[in-house]
Amino acid sequence: MPEISYLEAIRQALWQEMKRDERVFLLGEDIGRYGGAFGLTHGMLDEFGPERVRETPISEATIVATAIGASLLGMRPVAEIMFMDFVMLALDQIANQAAKMHFMFGGRTTVPIVVRMPGGSGSGAASQHSQSLESILMHFPGLIVVNPSTPYDAKGLMLASLRDPNPVCFVEHKVLYKTKGEVPEDDYIIPIGVAEIKRAGRDITVVANNIMVMKTLGVAEKLSRDGIEVEVIDPRTLLPLDTNTIIQSVTRTGRLLVVHEACQTGGWAGEVIASVVGSPAFDFLDAPVRRLGGKDVPIPYNRGLEKFAIPQEIDIEREIRALVQGKV
Amino acid sequence: MPVPFIMPKFDMDQEKATIISWSKKEGDPVQFDETVLTVETEKVAIDVPAPATGILAGIQYKDGDVVPVTEVIAYVLKEGESLADLPKTDSQALPTQPEVVSSPQEAPLSKPIIAPQNASVNATPVAIRIAKEEGIDLSKVRALGGNKITRDDVQHYMKEQQKPASRVAVPATPAARRISAETGIPLETVTGSGPRGRVQSADILATVNSRPASTTEIHGREAQVVPLTGIRRTIAERMQQSFQEAPHIALTIDVDMTEMEATRKRFNLQTEKLGQPRITVTALMIKMVAWALVRNPYINASFDDDAISLWQDVNIGVATAAPHGLVVPVLKGADHLGVSEINMRLIELANRARDNKLKLEDVQGGTFTISNLGMFGIRQFRAVINPPESAILAVGSLVRKPVVVDDKDRVEVRPMVSLTLSADHRVIDGVVAARFLSDLLAGIESPGLLLF
Amino acid sequence: MPKDKARTKEKQSNLHGQFGERVQRLGVSDEDLIGLYRTMCTVRHFEYMADKLYAAGKVHGTMHLSAGQEAVAAGISLAVQPDDYLINHHRGHGHFIAKGADINLMMAEFLGKDTGYNHGRGGSMHIADFQSNNLGANGIVGGGIPQAVGVGLALQMQRRKEICICIFGDGAANEGVFHEAMNMAALWKLPILYVCENNKYGMSMDVERATAKLPIAQRAEGYGIPWACVDGNDVVEVYDSMKIAVEHIRSGQGPYFVETITYRYFGHSKSDRNLYRSKEEIEDWKQNRDPIMRFTKHLLQSEILDENLAQEIDGQSEQVILKAVEFAEASPEPDVSTLMEYVYARNILS
Repeated sequence: MPEISYLEAIRQALWQEMKRDERVFLLGEDIGRYGGAFGLTHGMLDEFGPERVRETPISEATIVATAIGASLLGMRPVAEIMFMDFVMLALDQIANQAAKMHFMFGGRTTVPIVVRMPGGSGSGAASQHSQSLESILMHFPGLIVVNPSTPYDAKGLMLASLRDPNPVCFVEHKVLYKTKGEVPEDDYIIPIGVAEIKRAGRDITVVANNIMVMKTLGVAEKLSRDGIEVEVIDPRTLLPLDTNTIIQSVTRTGRLLVVHEACQTGGWAGEVIASVVGSPAFDFLDAPVRRLGGKDVPIPYNRGLEKFAIPQEIDIEREIRALVQGKV
Repeated sequence: MPVPFIMPKFDMDQEKATIISWSKKEGDPVQFDETVLTVETEKVAIDVPAPATGILAGIQYKDGDVVPVTEVIAYVLKEGESLADLPKTDSQALPTQPEVVSSPQEAPLSKPIIAPQNASVNATPVAIRIAKEEGIDLSKVRALGGNKITRDDVQHYMKEQQKPASRVAVPATPAARRISAETGIPLETVTGSGPRGRVQSADILATVNSRPASTTEIHGREAQVVPLTGIRRTIAERMQQSFQEAPHIALTIDVDMTEMEATRKRFNLQTEKLGQPRITVTALMIKMVAWALVRNPYINASFDDDAISLWQDVNIGVATAAPHGLVVPVLKGADHLGVSEINMRLIELANRARDNKLKLEDVQGGTFTISNLGMFGIRQFRAVINPPESAILAVGSLVRKPVVVDDKDRVEVRPMVSLTLSADHRVIDGVVAARFLSDLLAGIESPGLLLF
Repeated sequence: MPKDKARTKEKQSNLHGQFGERVQRLGVSDEDLIGLYRTMCTVRHFEYMADKLYAAGKVHGTMHLSAGQEAVAAGISLAVQPDDYLINHHRGHGHFIAKGADINLMMAEFLGKDTGYNHGRGGSMHIADFQSNNLGANGIVGGGIPQAVGVGLALQMQRRKEICICIFGDGAANEGVFHEAMNMAALWKLPILYVCENNKYGMSMDVERATAKLPIAQRAEGYGIPWACVDGNDVVEVYDSMKIAVEHIRSGQGPYFVETITYRYFGHSKSDRNLYRSKEEIEDWKQNRDPIMRFTKHLLQSEILDENLAQEIDGQSEQVILKAVEFAEASPEPDVSTLMEYVYARNILS
């Protein structure tokens, strides 16, 4: 099986679907000759032409609104928001329009759009180009929020998103773009709303998304040598959230830690924890339930500060050890 | 038909409006959409237009009246109509005596003050005041110093209320609480190894001697060994409770094991071929007991305060000696299992018991217990019922002895075992216990009956 | 539906003044003119009925009534085709009616009934019917303006002849997306008819206090979009300008912007006390500039209508509304057990 990067996996999904379905087209800033801010759409202009790789002015709200309008007439637009931070400029169109239309109009239309947005810190892009805003997007019923952590998941989830009748916020992580993994060349789908147990373990359940999945798996590998077996769950879709898989896992392990880069206050870890603590898994808890989110601070520019602002392997390891050894 | 003129609703949460003034009077002609009166809501005056063109008639309210919205305030008559043309249902709104909600000259009465419940309680005024401030129901406060509740009584009561409930007296994880409830081991008897002495599931499950140096060596499920720490105490409490609460009766019967032994031999030829472990007497005995229990549901039952539960499942506990004391692993659904299956599960349970590896589910859900002390040469004994079960079978040692085997007084040496059933007399009548034992005897002495 | 029937000589002799000149130049048939009158009467009755139902406590929530603005809706509807797309705004009852919506289903939706266009999920502010290319009304001021860009883009990509009509108010023209959308629509030469229904007030905010430079339509100049600013209470003038706009758009030259100056009789919504405008002003518009009254006068003078026929049509359109109320009131409420329906569209894949 070929090894390709997370970025290439997303491109491959878009490429293959645009070949298969002529209703799919891309729109966004600098996605043509430039190839997108991260080079994700590189080569697509030459392949599909300027009508289907449509470059727009810097007008985030109208980029998303254009996708919405076109989808009402049967198109399958993919809008790119260059950095997730800029999604705030388009939030009305996402939250008040796309998410509500199917409902508000009594099922008379669907809004099958995909809005891609790279989030996350670690590239020195500072406060306005590094946020993880997925928790905000999870507050709008009608929306789907997808957040892949591996190249394989990225392609399968993108293909699923492109074929879903609901509006999808496809949240990427800019630091994951270069990570490589095995990705089949053929067409496959990862179902939306289904979490994956990335590693089985019996001592503690750790739920993590995007880049934190990798970090947690590294920590789990290390702790395994000390006889601590960590179960790592990647929700893959944040809305709707597959709480069942998490609850069942906690029933087996009796311990739960949620790790995400997004700021801790108001972060989606709270959602996971509330679901678990309010479920029958409560009676199987053998330790306090903890979360490890990003610090409540805008992402700083300085490399050291930037690293310190979000959970690192050492923090994850410390939390897991404390929980498993009954120190907290 | 006259058009009803209603007090319009202007606002989402508006309930009434005050009429400031009518600009038209009874009998005036009005035009559709022309202002007829001005009303006031929340200090804003609004002109109310006529709902139709015609003659204004049947004005129900005068200036200054407060009117609920959507209430009819007048009618508009078209040519040739009169108020008499109103349908009967509307006639209540005819200008008889309009019911005025209230008028500004007469301020509405404030709501009567409802005397608090506390007034009926015999207490000092200070006590009543404090109780009111603190939201305390005085009927729950006891007067310690006499017949009147005093300030001290209220304060004492408040102190009592603030005492932590016993449930949180022992810090424990939810999992530990659940296991404590399931095993009957009180949390108070367990030393918690967590922070601030918090009891964790491992603490209950750990046995005294195999308490590991650090909990990292305990891995959740593996550590679910049936414990000894609190078990001694638990056994004591439960045996005492059982003996005190359940009136025990005991019936003994001697069974001839000849056919059982023969059957076991035949079975073991089979197991040898299949490479399975040899069938034990206990396995066969469990099968027989299960068969007899199905025929005698009252033996497989439990006494509750208001009913007797006849268990659908036949789950037979086997009292087993383990390194750290007595454990009772349970064979679930024994009535549906073949002897070889029972045998294999029994071996598995025995191994787990020996290694302190029993899981919680291995020792739960029993409906009847077999206790065998035969290996120690005990011929016959009475066991104490294992609550919530209603009966226990004590199996003595196999003794080869001469017995009369037919009506011709022929004596043969036969392998005999003495079985004693202890039964809870609240559930089981003597005759019911006897029938169970005789069914069991029939099965043991003619195993072929199980096929009947 | 416009039918360009040739006018007889004798009829033409009755056409006078600017009205007559326009009617002749545009070649509007009597049928079309009577149709406009009928549409306007229906809208007026619908809006007054809505107000009445609200006053009677039968309406949940709020609504935005367009009484006084009927000529805009009617004038547009004659200039466009039934399968053109409509993106509407919160004061949208008139535009739906003019586009030929089923009044029964509208009224049922208005009363929140299960039989309504949107199963009671939308109410007055969000009526939509995608089967008749009615893409719904928006409760966010300016929310639909950029969506029209997407509709126009899809029409262009699909090489279709339909256009998108996007209607919004004077207040929406000051939202940021207005400018983003105008720029993109012009950039890509999209088939969009932008109509700014300027009724003088954004809730209570006088357009003169909210807009740095009037007319609003002049802003189109900055994006290279042709524009017009017309009397929105003169239905023939509205039709005239819309016809020009639609021809321009259909010929592939990109968007067109028309501002219609009009006035609403009712408050912004039901909680409006009209504290920001004088009674005299409202009365002046009602007495001297009412679109239906003005149009009726022209029709009577040109003998296209007589008093009897005018009243008959008015009575018929009132009956349509009364029947709709009957239908709506007899309809069931949506069952609470269906609450979660339509939150997510079912994926045929799963």
